Amino acid sequence: MANNNIKLLAPDVHRGLAELVSQRLGLPLTDCVLKRDPTGEVTFSIGESVRDQDIFIITQIGSGIVNDRVLELLIMINASKTASARRITAIIPNFPYARQDRKDKSRAPITAKLMADMLTTAGCDHVITMDLHASQIQGFFDVPVDNLYAEPSVVRYIKENVNFDESIIISPDAGGAKRAASLADRLDLNFALIHKERARANEVSRMVLVGDVTDKVCIIVDDMADTCGTLAKAAEILLDNRAKSVIAIVTHGVLSGNAIKNINNSRLTKVVCTNTVPFEEKMKECPKLDVIDVSGVLAEAIRRLHNGESISYLFKHYPL
Amino acid sequence: MSNNIVVFGGDSHPELVAKICENLDIKASQVELGKFSNGEISISVRESVREKDVYVIQSGCGQVNDAFMQLLILISACKSSSASRVTAVMPYFCYSRQPDIPYTAKGAPVINQPGRNSATTQRPGEDSSFKSLNSAIKNTISLERKGATADAERVQAPSLTASKSLSRIPMIPGSKLQNSHTNGDAEDLFNAQNAGYKLWVVQAGTLIANLLTTAGADHVITMDLHDRQYPGFFDIPVDNLYCKPLSQNYIQHNIPDYEDAVIVSPDAGGAKRATAIADALELSFALIHKERRSQLLKGPPDATLTSGGALPVSQRPLVSAPASSGRDVRRSSSSSSLGSLASTESRFVQTTMLVGDVRNKVCIVVDDLVDTSYTITRAARLLKEQGATKVIALITHGLFSGDALDRIAASEIDKLVVANTVPQDETVKALGKDRVDIIDVSRVFGEAIRRIHNGESISMLFEHGY
Repeated sequence: MANNNIKLLAPDVHRGLAELVSQRLGLPLTDCVLKRDPTGEVTFSIGESVRDQDIFIITQIGSGIVNDRVLELLIMINASKTASARRITAIIPNFPYARQDRKDKSRAPITAKLMADMLTTAGCDHVITMDLHASQIQGFFDVPVDNLYAEPSVVRYIKENVNFDESIIISPDAGGAKRAASLADRLDLNFALIHKERARANEVSRMVLVGDVTDKVCIIVDDMADTCGTLAKAAEILLDNRAKSVIAIVTHGVLSGNAIKNINNSRLTKVVCTNTVPFEEKMKECPKLDVIDVSGVLAEAIRRLHNGESISYLFKHYPL
Repeated sequence: MSNNIVVFGGDSHPELVAKICENLDIKASQVELGKFSNGEISISVRESVREKDVYVIQSGCGQVNDAFMQLLILISACKSSSASRVTAVMPYFCYSRQPDIPYTAKGAPVINQPGRNSATTQRPGEDSSFKSLNSAIKNTISLERKGATADAERVQAPSLTASKSLSRIPMIPGSKLQNSHTNGDAEDLFNAQNAGYKLWVVQAGTLIANLLTTAGADHVITMDLHDRQYPGFFDIPVDNLYCKPLSQNYIQHNIPDYEDAVIVSPDAGGAKRATAIADALELSFALIHKERRSQLLKGPPDATLTSGGALPVSQRPLVSAPASSGRDVRRSSSSSSLGSLASTESRFVQTTMLVGDVRNKVCIVVDDLVDTSYTITRAARLLKEQGATKVIALITHGLFSGDALDRIAASEIDKLVVANTVPQDETVKALGKDRVDIIDVSRVFGEAIRRIHNGESISMLFEHGY
């Protein structure tokens, strides 16, 4: 691999994923200094020349200070652009504001579209993301977007860690049915769905299970877990319907608010998230958490993108 | 007022929003601002904005990035809801300073190395500095939240030395810890600057301007932009209002015998701003000049760079208080001892000199923006040393981050006059009502909005205020 014209950049906090990717690729992360001055404004400088280089900026946007992360990313992209980088690829596994992707009520902002515009404005030439909440968000961009899937990694995890002969895949809502069904097909497992009847927004009222889970290990699959209230309720219903045990596999474990408390108090055996979101500290507080490493997928995507190879292989297969 | 004007306020400065609306004799429109549990901003606009002339007021203060994102999302929401025109009103424009070097909580130019990646070679003994760096960064962040302690400064100091080991980064040794380094350091420093890659800091101005345009802003109103060139970064019209008429008004009405006062600019960059006020009021003018010169002399350098504090008043520029770092300045020891201290311990000496006569005069220090307050408190002390009877600080944007307010409280500044582009409740609380005067800018902004809405000229506001 020609490593003389590829540069990996990462902000100074939450470099975990970036470091894993860097190890995978055998490329060091570029020295850079990202600081916030006392008023909170971001200053950034790159420690070496990036002229005519292929830049990959790897970020992990978690819960809490999302907006700071976003502006840091934009400033990093812009810095690379003004430093005459040839191409800038932003790797944003957990795309921020992905859920505000439509006008669900009058005069609601479509913030996902704004994010897309801002990334393009800053000078981003390519975006790599993972398990977008709605894949239509790709259409918000004027630049190419590669939406990777965590599914191959999840399949591998289930095969290695779960006795999957007696498992069943559960979708916690109708929206995720497609994702869960696809995973069930891959693993040749049965599939059940929990139907939510919402009274008001953010308030789960009544849940109905569609399918038989008797004596099965239920694997709830979702793309995002926030406060984990839904997951806890789903586990409740599944166990009430004579399930053997319940684990949850979530791509983006934002785990905000009372998530840790909810998980600890719930009847879930395990909550597995990928490392698209930093949650190392939370793992200490919650023994039920487990992690799927997706750095291999991202590293391979970077390699393929840099060499101009096809990425679609990664949609179905876990890289070696 | 016509009924197709809509004013929204962000949550950074609700008081100013209310005042501006009062001046316009309208009510701020209903908007619900909140945050989801994962930290993302939620906004719901409660009133129709279709074909309306929308003004969104948000000052770039508090949690700057949150405030800025909120502004962008609010603009975007209005624009996508068919507003005919959206104007961003930013009394203080965030990211308007474009530093050449990253700032720290101390205000001293220091570049930190936030962490070396595992793949690069590590020098022995670097681990410990890495740890202290991390804590230094954490401390810097805690400083932002006004938890400034002496500990933070102590931790900041090792970061100076540690960043030196990264040879690419040019930096100015200013801390006492430099003493422990060998003589080769100064040479390293120059070599680093002359050969190979020179470190630079991204200038975010164009990006911020473009983000506003991208979000859908059609017009920007702001006040006293730090850079006069900043409007050039935009593709949309920018109306930069001035606080100067209000400041002049304050001087004329609230400072007794202002005819004898001296307008002082605390640094060379602000000279133009200060002279403009001095000219308009026909006052005399003085300038404080910070000079950072490298000291390559062998032997005791006291002979060349003496401290001016002990010198008798003379016509030539006085050299005083070589402030090698903000930490030293805070010590209340006399400037002459500081001079020798700094000069023996570092090869770079910052000298502060006053150009102009302030003896037995009231000094009005004029600056557009005060953040860490090192510059202005240093200036106040120098002026008092040079015989000024009273020091009044006249500031447009008082950000006062970190422990700036404590520093001002302990400083020689007799009166702080600050505009309310940024909330000043904390300032009044910290300094007491008698020591702070607030200049209300809401009328200028209100009038600017009214005139822009009606398509009238606003240039009158530049000269006369309102």
